[in-house]
Amino acid sequence: MSTTQEKPRPLIDDLTRPFWEAAREQRLVIQRCQDCHYFNHPPRPVCQACHGAALTFEPVSGRGTIYSFSVMYQPNVTGFGDELPYLNILVELEEQPQLFLVSDLPAAQRERVRVGGKVEVYFEDVDAELTLPKFCLVA
Amino acid sequence: MTWKGKGKTAIVGIGYSELSRRPQRSLGALSLDACRAAIDDAGLPAERVDGLATFPEAPFHGAGTQDGEQIVSVEYVMNHLPLAPDIRWYAQIETGLVASAVIEGVNALLADACEYVLVWRALHNPRGRYGAWSGNRAPGDAQFMAPYGCTSIFQWHAMAWQRYMHRYGATRDHLATFVTNSRRNANLNPNAYFYTTPMTREDYFAARWIAEPLCLFDCDIPVEGCVALILTTAERAADLRHPPAYIAGYGQNTSRRRALFHYSLDNYMESGHSLASKLWASSGLGPQTMSAAELYDGFSPSTLYWLEAAGFCGEGEAYSFIQDGRIALEGELPVNTFGGSLSEGRLHGMGHIAEAVMQVTDRAEKRQVPNASAVCAIDGSPMLRGSGLVITREP
Repeated sequence: MSTTQEKPRPLIDDLTRPFWEAAREQRLVIQRCQDCHYFNHPPRPVCQACHGAALTFEPVSGRGTIYSFSVMYQPNVTGFGDELPYLNILVELEEQPQLFLVSDLPAAQRERVRVGGKVEVYFEDVDAELTLPKFCLVA
Repeated sequence: MTWKGKGKTAIVGIGYSELSRRPQRSLGALSLDACRAAIDDAGLPAERVDGLATFPEAPFHGAGTQDGEQIVSVEYVMNHLPLAPDIRWYAQIETGLVASAVIEGVNALLADACEYVLVWRALHNPRGRYGAWSGNRAPGDAQFMAPYGCTSIFQWHAMAWQRYMHRYGATRDHLATFVTNSRRNANLNPNAYFYTTPMTREDYFAARWIAEPLCLFDCDIPVEGCVALILTTAERAADLRHPPAYIAGYGQNTSRRRALFHYSLDNYMESGHSLASKLWASSGLGPQTMSAAELYDGFSPSTLYWLEAAGFCGEGEAYSFIQDGRIALEGELPVNTFGGSLSEGRLHGMGHIAEAVMQVTDRAEKRQVPNASAVCAIDGSPMLRGSGLVITREP
């Protein structure tokens, strides 16, 4: 793996900082509207449902289902060339329909991927600065 | 109520440049070829062209934007073609895809801002891997996708199609019918990149994966080249070389969409309806009166989503609707009669518009749908900020 380039890292901004700071503490938080209670992800300056501005980050269960998945065969993304083909899943969190997060699955679980599969969050430390929330199938 | 502009403007000329993967000449030179060809096709002196419109977007996020090499702007065409000494109007738009540039031209003609509008769409085929994402810092919404390796539009479309298959029971076998039908049509279209290359179902199934469940032939074929159109008013159109192809109606997609994964299939019906409902309302026509449908196919499933969202069949029915020859040239609803972007080339919807014009003016030669009276051309997947036109034989 010595030729592996670094994978893309999030360019964290003021809107997204609470998400990534919580991830470093092994917590999954999602921006939520305090007026209409809609979860917005990615974070937005105003609520996508009611356009209100009373937005704070709240912990969520970390449980969801696999809405869909795809297997990438092209080395289009820096740092992923050695992992081809690799799987991505689109997780729909149980808190709200179409509240989506992107993830992969642990290598040992990839054969078992299916739409509707139950998943839960875990946290993968990339280094001291970055922790990625990821999802794995629950037994 | 039918749009008061119905039938008052028309497309009267079409020009294609050479379409190839790696041309010897610059995109700017190819675009001038297409523009001259469109003006010639209309039978119009070049100095009468006094309006210009384009949608010059680079082929994917991160591709270069050098004018004349990677994009072709209004500025470029104005400085390199002998048109009217005093250009009266131009528009260079950056959303809505090229059908929205045509809509701009139509509105300019209706407003009497100019008399003859040249619209073009130049597409560059960058060297290197198509759609590659090479940054190591992912800004904005990409910060939630790129660290997981999920940045390419075809990965998103693969997710949507996977979900569609799960939801409705469609399979690759169903999709093969669409892709091979498009290729058959392209084999009758001399402008098509794959004009002389047939495709069997076996060829389709043998293709390599790009992002499973989408294979190579589910993706449009990137080409370099340009297609141009001439628009004018219905009155002026009467004096030109070819019969006019009237603009009966238009629509833009104005749906509100989620930012992350707007290709997740969560809203394709609602989003597509935003565009299609305007097409049908403005033209006073509907899916049942279309002689053919030219429906965007940047990725093959997009056309299926359009068949549903525009009302040609019900939700979840397109994969079965397209079987048994129904969308073939001889079928009850010929679809992508020129081969689509999948087999003619990736022209971001311009090929769809040009073909609708060809069909309603009896210029489609071996792929002509007899007596085609009304054809819709829809640009962009239903989840995208696209736009569309209804084009008719009579005003």
